Amino acid sequence: MYSRELDGGTYTFGVSGKLWRDALVMYDHQTRSLWSHITGEAIQGMLKGKNLKILAAMPQIDWRTWRLNFPRTKVLSVPIDLFDKTVTIEEQRRDSYARYHAGPETGVSGMWYSDARLNNKALVVGVKHQDQHRAYPFSAFGRQPVINDRVSNVPILVFHEKRSRATAVYNRTVDGTPLEFAWSRDYFAVDSSGTIWNLITGLATEGKYKGKRLERLPSINLYWFAWARYHPDTTIYKQ
Amino acid sequence: MTHTATAEEDYSGDTIRTLLPFDGIPAIRNPQFVAADEAKLGDNAPVIGVNFNGEQHAYSIYLLNGHEIVNDVVGGIKIATTW
Repeated sequence: MYSRELDGGTYTFGVSGKLWRDALVMYDHQTRSLWSHITGEAIQGMLKGKNLKILAAMPQIDWRTWRLNFPRTKVLSVPIDLFDKTVTIEEQRRDSYARYHAGPETGVSGMWYSDARLNNKALVVGVKHQDQHRAYPFSAFGRQPVINDRVSNVPILVFHEKRSRATAVYNRTVDGTPLEFAWSRDYFAVDSSGTIWNLITGLATEGKYKGKRLERLPSINLYWFAWARYHPDTTIYKQ
Repeated sequence: MTHTATAEEDYSGDTIRTLLPFDGIPAIRNPQFVAADEAKLGDNAPVIGVNFNGEQHAYSIYLLNGHEIVNDVVGGIKIATTW
C-alpha cells in the first residue's frame, strides 16, 4: 500500500509486465519509471532512486471479520462479463501464479534464491523501521497471536491471528507510555492496565484507555525468501 | 532458448525481466465500489482492507489477482493498493 503522492505530484500506476527480483514491477503513467512493488523504490527511469511512502493497511483479512468491524466499508466491484474472453486470458495467467505458489521455486522465472535461516516459502510479517528490518514468521503466532517487541527502539505490537488471517502492526506507546499486551480472545488484546483493545480497528473498547486508538505501522506479508532477498540484513523474531 | 536470454541468466537476480507487455495485466484506474450488503463475497473471502480518516475500502484478493494494482482515494488519501 503506497501513497500516490510524491514531491508535490500525483501519480497513477500500471502493471509493467516485468519482474525484478522475481516480484511485480509497477510503472507510473506520468513518467513511465519502473517501481518495485516490494520496496516502493523506482528502479529505472526519470524517478529512479525515489521512494513512495508506504502506508499501513490490513494486508489480508477474511471478509466476515472486516465487515463486522467496519460495516460502512465500501467494496471494490469490477463490472466484468464473466464470459468475456479477456477473463479467460487472465485466468490462464492466474494459473501460472497458482503453480508458483504451490511449488518450491522461489522465482516465477525459475531462478533460485535462498537464505537458509527459514524455509523459502515460510510466510512472514515484514516490519521495517528506520534502518532495521525484522521478520516475524507466521509460525511464531501459534498460541499467542500478539507479540510485544522493539524495532529501532520503537515499542511495537505485532498481531497475526490464524482464524481471521488478520495481521496488524501497531506502536504500543499510549500517552507516552509503552504498554505490554497479551492476547485476550479472537482479535482482542488486554494491556497491563486491563484495557481491552480491538486489534482490527486499533481502538480501546473497555477500560482506562477506552476510546484511544493505537497508531498503525506499515508492514508486509510475504514469503521469507522474498523478504530476505530485498532485506538481507533482516533479523528474525525468536520467542 | 535464445542467446539473448542466456546472456540474461544472472543469479543475483537483479536483471529486470519482461514477462508480459505493459498493461498486459490491466491495473484499475477508476475503481467502482458497492456497499457491504451488495458485495458478492463469501465470509471467508480474503480481502485487503484500508481505513483512512474514517473511510474504509475493501479489495477482494481474488479480484486483485487479475489487476494487481488499484489507483484509489480513501479518506482523501491518494493510494495505490498493490497485490
